[in-house]
Amino acid sequence: MEIFIAQVINGLSLGSIYVLLVTGFNLLLLVAMIIHFSFPVVVVFSMYMAWIVLGLTGNNIFLGVAAGISSAILFNIITAPMFQHIMKKRGEVDINSTMVLSMGLGMIITDFLSHSINSGFPIAFPDNLTGRAAGPFIQFGLISMSRGAFLALTVGIVFVTGLFWLLYKTKQGRAFRAIAEDPNGAKLVGLPILKTGLQSYALTGFLGGSTAILMAILLGSASPGLGDQLGHKVLAVSIIAGLGNLKGGLIVGLSLGILEALVQGYWTGTWSNAIAFVIMLIAILVKPKGIFGMKL
Amino acid sequence: MGQNKTSDKVILEIDNLAVSYGHVNALKDVSLTVNEGEIVVLIGANGAGKTSIMETVLGVNQVDSGTIKFQGKDITNKPADKIVRSGMFLVPEGRGVFSSMSVTDNLLLGAHHNLKGSKEKMDYVFSSFPILGERKDQVAGTLSGGERQMLAIARALMSSPKMILVDEPSIGLAPKIVNDIFEILVQLNSEGYSILLSEQNVYKALKCAHRGYVMETGKILLSGTSEELLNNSEIRKAYLGA
Ligand SMILES: Nc1ncnc2c1ncn2[C@@H]1O[C@H](COP(=O)(O)OP(=O)(O)OP(=O)(O)O)[C@@H](O)[C@H]1O
Ligand SMILES: [Mg+2]
Repeated sequence: MEIFIAQVINGLSLGSIYVLLVTGFNLLLLVAMIIHFSFPVVVVFSMYMAWIVLGLTGNNIFLGVAAGISSAILFNIITAPMFQHIMKKRGEVDINSTMVLSMGLGMIITDFLSHSINSGFPIAFPDNLTGRAAGPFIQFGLISMSRGAFLALTVGIVFVTGLFWLLYKTKQGRAFRAIAEDPNGAKLVGLPILKTGLQSYALTGFLGGSTAILMAILLGSASPGLGDQLGHKVLAVSIIAGLGNLKGGLIVGLSLGILEALVQGYWTGTWSNAIAFVIMLIAILVKPKGIFGMKL
Repeated sequence: MGQNKTSDKVILEIDNLAVSYGHVNALKDVSLTVNEGEIVVLIGANGAGKTSIMETVLGVNQVDSGTIKFQGKDITNKPADKIVRSGMFLVPEGRGVFSSMSVTDNLLLGAHHNLKGSKEKMDYVFSSFPILGERKDQVAGTLSGGERQMLAIARALMSSPKMILVDEPSIGLAPKIVNDIFEILVQLNSEGYSILLSEQNVYKALKCAHRGYVMETGKILLSGTSEELLNNSEIRKAYLGA
């Protein structure tokens, strides 16, 4: 029983990361109207930027964290005009061509990381960031939580709550939801579509950058291929939950984290990806439009 | 139905407007004016170009040639959010309310560019449309057609507009509700809002409007006061079945 609880807690931490990634992806889909399945690659890119700055500053945590968060925001804002250019040119939502752009950006980043940083070898984050050397952060018998797991879970809860608050209680959130429901209708009531879209790029950049830091703490390392691997998972979670369904993404993201942790706890870590994808395959065969329905 | 006193001051002036969607020439050389305090109706069959005029005035469509002036200022090809900010609001064809959002949220979207005083404005629209007040926490998707039309009109009021464009409000509504909606428009007009209305319900629309324009395939065929149009024999034949 204690192993079970321990693994569920670990799973929730990992799941929080998935939820943050899926939520960023869904927000871009709903508000900016792009399929940015390389969004997790941008997040891994931000992990690398944090790592570089940590190395340059003698492991200054504040600067490392700032570099990770700001590089995701900057990357999103700098690439936004390209995505928006496609939308303006077509005069309509064209998700397909944004997918090609996202794919291209993802490949460029992954290639850059595997050729130009640390000779393509995995990078490891310093102990003063990950808290590895300090041992478990919380411990009750077999149930223990590393600092990374604890942070991922609490920050995940705070951010997701904050995000839902923003979406449902603020003026910006109202505009986000209106554009998500009916972009054309949103234009007719005079909502600034491109400006609001840009705000969503900045917001998801912030989410992505923060996720990058949490991943650095939780995983302790990163490799060039991590982004693609996460990209596949995030796309799968989002489709299984129902594309654009924020609440669905929350539930499926957490479930995936728990599932993987249980497989690791009771069976073998090396198979957790394959098993997760088998279960997701079954889910998509049973519910092709997603468990909770698309929100597009 | 009563009619508001109008002034000679022009609030909206469209000159030689042409608009196309790809190869489709939706509007050809359209000129019209709306004076302050007027209800002006655009009459025309499906595809005549009524919606195209309204959406172009609002800044949603690209203008090929011609000019649009609102309150004396050139607004041709200005973005829609700027035009809304300057005091114009559209009540779209088919209402255009956001069905997954609450009545309150829908109303606040109308005031998106200026939330100051939105509390008072909300009280004002709830006193004009008590039914919306009763339904304020419900999502708009649960409203009846007539209630949705009221919501779309109330949302326009939330933007504190000078002028309201109302695109075929009677579509899909029972005759009794259509009368209510037209009465609301006349009432709003008497409170000072200038209104450009589009309708296929020609008789009722002309009864509440001051003037009208008759459109066909992207052109203005005829114009005149409501009385002139109601007595025009061609219109009687084509639209009034007499
Ligand atoms: N987005 C578009 N792309 C191509 N053609 C369009 C588009 N919108 C309108 N049209 C065409 O422009 C013409 C005018 O259409 P519009 O919607 O303005 O007519 P309408 O008078 O509002 O008709 P209805 O009474 O049916 O609403 C029609 O021939 C229509 O097919
Ligand atoms: Mg129309």
